[in-house]
Amino acid sequence: MKRLHNAVVWKLVIILFIGVLPLSLYGQDEKIAPVTGTYAITNVNITQAPGRTIQLGTVVVKDGMITAVGKTVSIPADAKIIKADSMYLYAGFIDGLSHVGVDMPKEEEDQDVDDPSNPPNDIAGIQPDRDVRGLLNPADKSVDDWRKLGFTAAHVVPEGRMLPGSGAIVLLSGDTPDEMVYRSGTSLFSQLRGASGIYPNTVIGVMAKYRDLYRNASYAKSYKQRYEQDGAGMERPVSDRVLEAFYPVIDKRIPVAFKAESVLDIQRVFILKNDLGFNLMLGEVKQGWDVIDKIKSANASVFLSLELPELKEEKEKDSTDTDEGDTKKELTAAEEEQQRLDARKKEMILNHYKQPALFTANGVKFGFSTLEAKSKDIKSNLSKMVENGLSEDAALTALTTAPAQLLGLSNTMGTVDAGKIANLVISDKPYFDEKSNVKMVFVDGKLFEYDDKPKKKKSDGEDIDPIGSWSYSTETPQGTTTGTLKITGEAGDYSGEMTNSQTGETTSISDIAISGTSMTYSFQINAGGNMLSISVSVTIDGETFDGTMTVGSYGSFPVEGERIPEQ
Amino acid sequence: MKNNITLILALLLAFAASAQQKGDVLIKNGTVLTITNGDLAETDVLIRDGKISKIGKGLKAPSGAKTIDATGMYVMPGIIDAHSHIALDAVNEATSPVTAEVFTGDAVDPLDVSIYRALAGGVTTSHAMHGSANAVGGQCETIKHRYGTVDPEALKMKGAPRTIKFALGENPTRVHGAGNNMVPRTRMGVEAVFRNSFSEAQEYMAAWNEYNVNKSKKGFKGAPPKYDLRLETLADILKGEIIIHCHSYRADEIYMLMQVCKDFGIKRLVFQHVNEGFKVAPELAEFGAGASVFADWWAYKFEVYYSTAYNATILSENGVVTSINSDSGELIRHLYHEAAKTQKYGGLTDKDALSMITINPAKQLGIEDRVGSIEEGKEGDIAIFNNHPLSIYAIPMYTIIDGVLQFDRQNDPDDMRIYVNPEEKIDVTFSQNDHTVDRCMQGTEFLFKN
Amino acid sequence: MKNLKHIFIVFLLVAFSIEVSGQNAKGKTGTFALTNATIETVTNGTINNGTIVIKDGIIAEIGANVTIPDGAEQIDCSGQTIYPGMIEGGGRLGLVEVNSDPRTRDYNEIGDVIPQMKALTAVNPNSVLIPVTRVSGVTTSLAVPAGGLFPGTASLVNLHGYTPDQMYAGFEGIVMNFPATGRSSRWDRRSDEEIKKEAEKALKKLNEVWQRANEYHRIDSSLKASGNAAKLEYYPEMEALLPVVRGERKLLIEVNAADDIEAAIEWVSDKDIDVVFTGVSEGWRKAKEIAEADIPVIVGPVLSIPNRQYDRYDRAYTNPGVMQKAGVKVAIKSGDAENVRNLPYNAGFAATYGMGKEEALKAITIIPAEIFGVDDKLGSLEKGKSATLFVTDGDPFETKTQVKYVFIEGWMIPLESRHTKLYDEFLNRQPGLEK
Repeated sequence: MKRLHNAVVWKLVIILFIGVLPLSLYGQDEKIAPVTGTYAITNVNITQAPGRTIQLGTVVVKDGMITAVGKTVSIPADAKIIKADSMYLYAGFIDGLSHVGVDMPKEEEDQDVDDPSNPPNDIAGIQPDRDVRGLLNPADKSVDDWRKLGFTAAHVVPEGRMLPGSGAIVLLSGDTPDEMVYRSGTSLFSQLRGASGIYPNTVIGVMAKYRDLYRNASYAKSYKQRYEQDGAGMERPVSDRVLEAFYPVIDKRIPVAFKAESVLDIQRVFILKNDLGFNLMLGEVKQGWDVIDKIKSANASVFLSLELPELKEEKEKDSTDTDEGDTKKELTAAEEEQQRLDARKKEMILNHYKQPALFTANGVKFGFSTLEAKSKDIKSNLSKMVENGLSEDAALTALTTAPAQLLGLSNTMGTVDAGKIANLVISDKPYFDEKSNVKMVFVDGKLFEYDDKPKKKKSDGEDIDPIGSWSYSTETPQGTTTGTLKITGEAGDYSGEMTNSQTGETTSISDIAISGTSMTYSFQINAGGNMLSISVSVTIDGETFDGTMTVGSYGSFPVEGERIPEQ
Repeated sequence: MKNNITLILALLLAFAASAQQKGDVLIKNGTVLTITNGDLAETDVLIRDGKISKIGKGLKAPSGAKTIDATGMYVMPGIIDAHSHIALDAVNEATSPVTAEVFTGDAVDPLDVSIYRALAGGVTTSHAMHGSANAVGGQCETIKHRYGTVDPEALKMKGAPRTIKFALGENPTRVHGAGNNMVPRTRMGVEAVFRNSFSEAQEYMAAWNEYNVNKSKKGFKGAPPKYDLRLETLADILKGEIIIHCHSYRADEIYMLMQVCKDFGIKRLVFQHVNEGFKVAPELAEFGAGASVFADWWAYKFEVYYSTAYNATILSENGVVTSINSDSGELIRHLYHEAAKTQKYGGLTDKDALSMITINPAKQLGIEDRVGSIEEGKEGDIAIFNNHPLSIYAIPMYTIIDGVLQFDRQNDPDDMRIYVNPEEKIDVTFSQNDHTVDRCMQGTEFLFKN
Repeated sequence: MKNLKHIFIVFLLVAFSIEVSGQNAKGKTGTFALTNATIETVTNGTINNGTIVIKDGIIAEIGANVTIPDGAEQIDCSGQTIYPGMIEGGGRLGLVEVNSDPRTRDYNEIGDVIPQMKALTAVNPNSVLIPVTRVSGVTTSLAVPAGGLFPGTASLVNLHGYTPDQMYAGFEGIVMNFPATGRSSRWDRRSDEEIKKEAEKALKKLNEVWQRANEYHRIDSSLKASGNAAKLEYYPEMEALLPVVRGERKLLIEVNAADDIEAAIEWVSDKDIDVVFTGVSEGWRKAKEIAEADIPVIVGPVLSIPNRQYDRYDRAYTNPGVMQKAGVKVAIKSGDAENVRNLPYNAGFAATYGMGKEEALKAITIIPAEIFGVDDKLGSLEKGKSATLFVTDGDPFETKTQVKYVFIEGWMIPLESRHTKLYDEFLNRQPGLEK
């Protein structure tokens, strides 16, 4: 009970610190209301749809819609004219499966369930009745981050475990969740992710539970139908929100949106689809290249992940450095092996890069998803895909018309045509040009302008300043732990303390050391009478950090955090 | 250099293409250890379209068939491991004492390099089992080691009978009783879990039978019973559709489960590990239960302290169908050596020793009509050794599944991974030979830390 | 017929129950003559149709033409072969009874630097595991503490005796676990950076300890040299390291990953100490370097999986042979506790995968004896050496081979253990199905 109370408090803390404060920061720009909602973007290179372009034309936006597109169109008198000379305009991008704008305080796992073999649904991660609308935060930083990349709409789903809830099509502007929502109840979001330490915990548990729920829902649904036709003399069907959430899936009114990154998870989802027969939307696909035929025959809508593994080529540089003169050095067995291993790894990474091109070549329509992607990587990842064979048209298709079709939005989104919602992105150079910058984005007719401020570059070797408060969270086999980290003092003499929001305990941390962007510290916890030494090593990147926490000999676990802005 | 990589990739691709394929191979002039029909000197074995089509002398290879010269070598049926956890992403759903509904077939991992290592030990089939954390564990998958594919379905031995893992003794009582303070904490509790589960399943079957009989009747107003995948599975055990493979050590608990099964009319029962099986060998033989044992593991926990490496021999001599298993990604690579230990401990004949890793495990998995011996009509699963497989000097040279060459000691490259982890830099260096935890308890380790 | 068998078994059981009071039948000492045997001396070739005379615990005579003393118990070994007792180069035998029960684990004391913890103290002469091991021909085993940087002092014991001192086989060595840069398990999620840092930290600590041991040695030496009565303060850790620093006691360095082996060679290179590497699972990657550094190794277990996913499947099998061919002095260990009896199979796999029979046999007899400095007593069959040997009906590596006799320091060991006793009792259980 006490823990639950803590949880509520912690949720409040998160909302207060991470939720509301950014609202006031990012909200400031919008406080000054625009004079008019009518715009004419002139002298702009328009790509209405992939392969359909107009050079130096005009787009008129009014009442949230595109009202005219063409070489010569009449400009309404109340229009604010935007001279977009030599800039490039595209339909706003659509993120096919995303957590953008979802305000999810990291929920701690409450291990204290009475019966771990039969935990309450919500603790077990079985919350298909949850609606992502209740979790949207228009001021979430990610909304602006995504918009800045050109995304104007997204298929947003809640975070969670096995069944986090239903998704919605969301426009990336608006002051309230309802203003943002274009369409709700669009999919039943599902993952092969088990609960921590309770049933269903593993992928085999999740898949069994999924079948059990789905079939129960089918029985419940048909009984309910019978009851509604002629209920006299029949036992009253009991209301069950979890099972009812499956009804539109069983009726094939909405698909199951399944997150499946690895080649094995993708095929596990197919096992479930074959057993149960639902319509499938496959999201965050990272390793689909070997199962294209299976994807085709499953008739699944596909969204490929915009997260890519990083290809580090330092090794090769190193080896060329050691070449003295032009004499070819005999490679040792170890060096040869290293080269072979590096080559295989590179091959594997390139498979990720080439995947979208391969899907295109195989005639599989796909969009992109960002459940795992970080905003700072998305544009460069798109470039990597283009460098590895994805045509710019195909890339644009995957960002606009394809997701519009796969999500049933083609009537109103995906192209620059009169009558569609005014979701537009304007860049100073062709979007896929490495040096392009997004200058303006229209979402639902609202204009967002972006100056490319030169990023504050940290000079090499200079130590960052960790002082302040940070939120942190870490994943261990026992579940997620969250809390705050407070660092005071001055360079060379830092001190700090951390508060575990699950236990409410405050512990002092020691050995805080900064080197460049990396920070290390350690602390001790009391584990059943034994003092356990824990050391943490993270890299700070601006306002966030991530790294690992090593718990004695028990292993290491990821830890990440975010600076809590000062009041 | 570049050529090497291309070669590896080409080989891998060749493997990928060969998954689920059936091939033609002629194995010439080997000593054929048929297991069921004696040893045949200087004999050929012809596999066509994945099946053993002819055993004899002077056979001709059909066009396009690969020929392997086995002169001086020993040709035996592909080795079968009745207890393994390789090729699985998840082994234990350790959160409930009864998890009959879960299924390791959902977690098959064709990318696990352990599959190749098993092939390199002549093992062609294994029983990919759920772990032993729960009294009633999950259903298991029987796989063939068709390595080189990303498709889990390609590994599954279609048509093999369904099996399920049960567990007795320390593991379920430790996980649930000691770990989560719920039944079972004792061997009494373990029995109670079985009796409760089967009784509920009987009620469940009865309720559905009644519903199905009545539902087509006019004016029927009844509701269907609540569907329950767990009880569905338990009901299938009662119907004889699933073979129980029960992790067990002590004689009393082995005896207990036989009594429970008798009371519920269950006949298909194999005991796994069964270290004290030798103490109730006559009872096991009478029941008709199988025993799948370690060659010599003992003393790593209290319930195996009163064990003997003569277990397999005693069981076998008492008429129990006995196999030697690995339960380990290490042991699975030299099951032929493990089987030879029955000659050290009890002096079994070559045939009886080899039966422990071929036809006997096949019987325990209900696949003895397809694999486990070299007979015409059986599937073309073959292991070829340079010396007699029970000799310490035996090296597996070729391993064939369904007539497709899956392992070739002379020609395979070193690095046999199918997918490479793009993030990994420093490689795992496991500490070896740690018998403190059963492999069966994989995935539950963290429950016992602190 | 059935009745006869029944009666016979009852007779056996009666005989058995008389013999077995306590845990095992007693060993027997005296003068023995093993005659008509093939003798694999290991160091001096094979003697056909030879005789070994055992007297006062040693090999009194060995050869083809040997006079058998009066009163000697003659054992006809026709068709059988005599080998020196096999020596396990490092396991937990004697230090643990049931591994899952911490109350029976005595190999892992608390503390990172505790070289003074003596394995010999905790060796249980009455462990049920010991008879199970020795009846397979393993007569001698190194009991090794495990844990932190310096987990204790390992001790070589013969597998017969009723006190640790009766078992002691004349060698003790300080164990060190070289800081490892590999990952320990799938739960080990440390970043590469962190692993490196931690290893560096551990190495730093190691060097600090070493520096202190050197100081201790310097002061201790100068005090002694000056005849000063003053003594250093009680510091058992340093006292234990003192003989190592002075090169008077071996340092057994457990090291496995290739990089670690290289680092360990580097660490050793500027020290005048007597070192053995143990484990050495990736020795094949650094065979040349180990040979050049002239460091002997005790490698094993051979029956294990390769360290890395991309390694050839048989790397652990070929590892001893690769090192031996590169010129490294290689002994083999099982590293086990309850199954140290599988030592000949570890050697057998090494023999099969490149090392050859002869070298593999040496790797579990004379080579470990040399490494432990007990080759004057153990490791080969020579006149005057300890009568620690076993007799088989065949190649000791072959799995089906039966051990016929075992002698440890001249004591004839009863060939029984829990495993054989349970076999005797249960092969034809009485009552059977019906009581």
